[in-house]
Amino acid sequence: MEVADGNAVTDRELGTSGGPPVPDGGRRPPVRSGGTPPGWPAAVGLLATVVGSVGFVLAFVTSASNAWLGGSLAAALLGLGMALAYWGRDLAGDEVISGPYPAPHDDPPRAAALGGDLEQSVGVITRRGALAKFLVFAVGVFALSQVVILGALGPWPGRSLFVTAWRPGRRLVTIDGEPVTRDVLAGGGSLVAFPEGHTDAANSQIALFHFSGGELKLQPGRETWSPEGFVAYSRICTHVGCAVSQYLDEAKVLACPCHQSTFDLLDGAKPVAGPAGRPLPQLPLAIDKDGYLVAQRDFTEPVGPGFWDAG
Amino acid sequence: MSDRRLTKSLRTAFGVRRSPLRRGAGYVDENLGGGSRLLRDELRHIFPDSWAFFLGEIALYCFILLVVTGVFLALFFRASQAEVVYQGSYQPLVGVPMSDAYSSVLDLSLDVRAGLLVRQVHHWAALVFVGALMIHLLRMFFTGAYRRPRRLNWLFGFTLLFVVGFNGLMGYSLPDDLLSGTGLRVAYSITESIPFVGPTMASLLFGGEFPTTGIIARIYPVHVFLLPAAIAGLLGLHLGMLWLQRHTQFPGPGRDDRTVVGSPMVPAYALRTTGYLLLVAGVLTAFGALLQINPVWLYGPYTAWDSTTAAQPDWYMGWLEGAVRLFPGWDIQLGSFVLPAVFWPAVVLPGLIFTPLLLWPWLDGMALRDHGFHNVLTFPSERPWRAALGAGFVTLLSVLLVAGGDDVFASAFGLSLPVLIRTLQVLVFVAPPLVALFSYLVARRRSQRWLATGR
Repeated sequence: MEVADGNAVTDRELGTSGGPPVPDGGRRPPVRSGGTPPGWPAAVGLLATVVGSVGFVLAFVTSASNAWLGGSLAAALLGLGMALAYWGRDLAGDEVISGPYPAPHDDPPRAAALGGDLEQSVGVITRRGALAKFLVFAVGVFALSQVVILGALGPWPGRSLFVTAWRPGRRLVTIDGEPVTRDVLAGGGSLVAFPEGHTDAANSQIALFHFSGGELKLQPGRETWSPEGFVAYSRICTHVGCAVSQYLDEAKVLACPCHQSTFDLLDGAKPVAGPAGRPLPQLPLAIDKDGYLVAQRDFTEPVGPGFWDAG
Repeated sequence: MSDRRLTKSLRTAFGVRRSPLRRGAGYVDENLGGGSRLLRDELRHIFPDSWAFFLGEIALYCFILLVVTGVFLALFFRASQAEVVYQGSYQPLVGVPMSDAYSSVLDLSLDVRAGLLVRQVHHWAALVFVGALMIHLLRMFFTGAYRRPRRLNWLFGFTLLFVVGFNGLMGYSLPDDLLSGTGLRVAYSITESIPFVGPTMASLLFGGEFPTTGIIARIYPVHVFLLPAAIAGLLGLHLGMLWLQRHTQFPGPGRDDRTVVGSPMVPAYALRTTGYLLLVAGVLTAFGALLQINPVWLYGPYTAWDSTTAAQPDWYMGWLEGAVRLFPGWDIQLGSFVLPAVFWPAVVLPGLIFTPLLLWPWLDGMALRDHGFHNVLTFPSERPWRAALGAGFVTLLSVLLVAGGDDVFASAFGLSLPVLIRTLQVLVFVAPPLVALFSYLVARRRSQRWLATGR
């Protein structure tokens, strides 16, 4: 079978040489009337190609700016493109041809013959009914067995989503590893802190605030978590996990720049605006005898966005 | 006789008068096992002509350009997150620790000659690729080009859009700048939100809990080999079927479901489409030369404790970003299990949108009880319901796209962000039906006028 089947292209030659009757065959009158269009637009395009190409080489060897380099290249490409498109457009008007669409729908014998052939071929296999079914079963078992390969991709999550690097008594340090004392944040503001020795632990990052005026609304069960008005929250957004990095001092809220989730720092970091659904987890703090801020223990809930077994 | 026609066509194409082409034709015939009949016929392949058919070609040519520019970029990109200290020519970042990947992107952008141009052309080509595919699909939709016998090809085309968009996301993630890392973080969290399997899937895909140090090396072969191969394969299938079935055509004299009218591939169509290829390449090169895109050196390297305002994904992901921003924080607690709110806009919504679209040719055929063969296109106003559905759908995606940049719009126009969000939340439900109704009325009126007056 040739692909060309059903592709009896007709033009004037075929139409007059007694080819198969083609509905509405033959050459159409040119779309464009009048004489041959001028050649100069194509020539201008080709000129732009030459000039642009030379310009590109010059721009490259002289390390000219991106605009010159790309501009000259663009001119060359556009010039050539315009010339060819213009020329092709002109030719398209010259020669309009027609032919049949491949039309299997009005050729039922052909489709039936194909189906019959296939049935016969497949029948050779399915004649051994039990064996054929076993083949399907075996291939299915084999395919399923290969799924285990996926296990090589990474560790099972295990408990990793539930724990961070915070441990009882572990000191808060800045990103540079400087321990955080009670004297910090005397002037207000906020501080990014990590567990000592774990400044690369992304899931342990916290934002530390100091509200000494008693404005902090203590949450039930967390009365001892904010000594002297120091309060720390996980800095990973509970929406989709961006760093909640915008502290708005006047409103005493922490906002996530990604999707504008906003958390009320005075009220347990509950979400007050934006798409986040859960408060930022709070880290239980203490102040040790040397005046350093330390964690009482790890977070009591998973940090970051929710997941299926997080409850 | 056959040779005469072949050489005539080739001669016209290349302006050559004598034997080289004739010899070439003989050579081809010999090596195709007497296939010059096939070659002859295919050289005269009929291409109907309409500006609308150019849209798919833009997409194809973007892909070609992406491969060419991508190969250049691959010569300089290092898919490693090993920490290095930047020593390149961009002063503000000198001495800053960063991943080797990010450092290599800075180098190829700022220190490799023509590197910035190629990178920007690559990025622009990706943006235009997805755009061209979308508009191409809309054209198919509104003119009914997906009807039998082209249902399967709609499926391939649609899958292509999906794969291309996903590969764009992968490419956006590779430079390991702040925005690309933020995008990966969001992708990780969305994967995590899937019930039952989410956390395991996320851990397997990313190789552990985010941020992992191997993710760039993992994305790289997917972006430069796996998905491009899939795209090339799908394009091949799509174009192969198009070739065998011929283009659809708009109604016109001599054109019907059995007869295709157009210009022959050689010389007219071949010349024109090569010209279009170069025009697409030229326009994208001009973009890359003059319009800055994704200036990664301004964003800085990704770290898990940085984030930035006005962070947007590439535009074709904007509707998804918008849905994630608009959906309220309804984390659902089911006993000891959690169904995170983001699951609905980021996983369920795309499924709701893509599944009916994928099956659209069959749904449309069932709804209209029309399973006949159609090679002649309809105009949108001839099918008011289809026009209405399409317009409503585009409106929905547009509202979501705006929502994807709500912070930018709010600050640019001095609006209150919560008010804007609430407005968009309402518009998501109100605007699509209104636009659909309006489109329906306009289309019906036009078709009635057309029936009455023939104009």
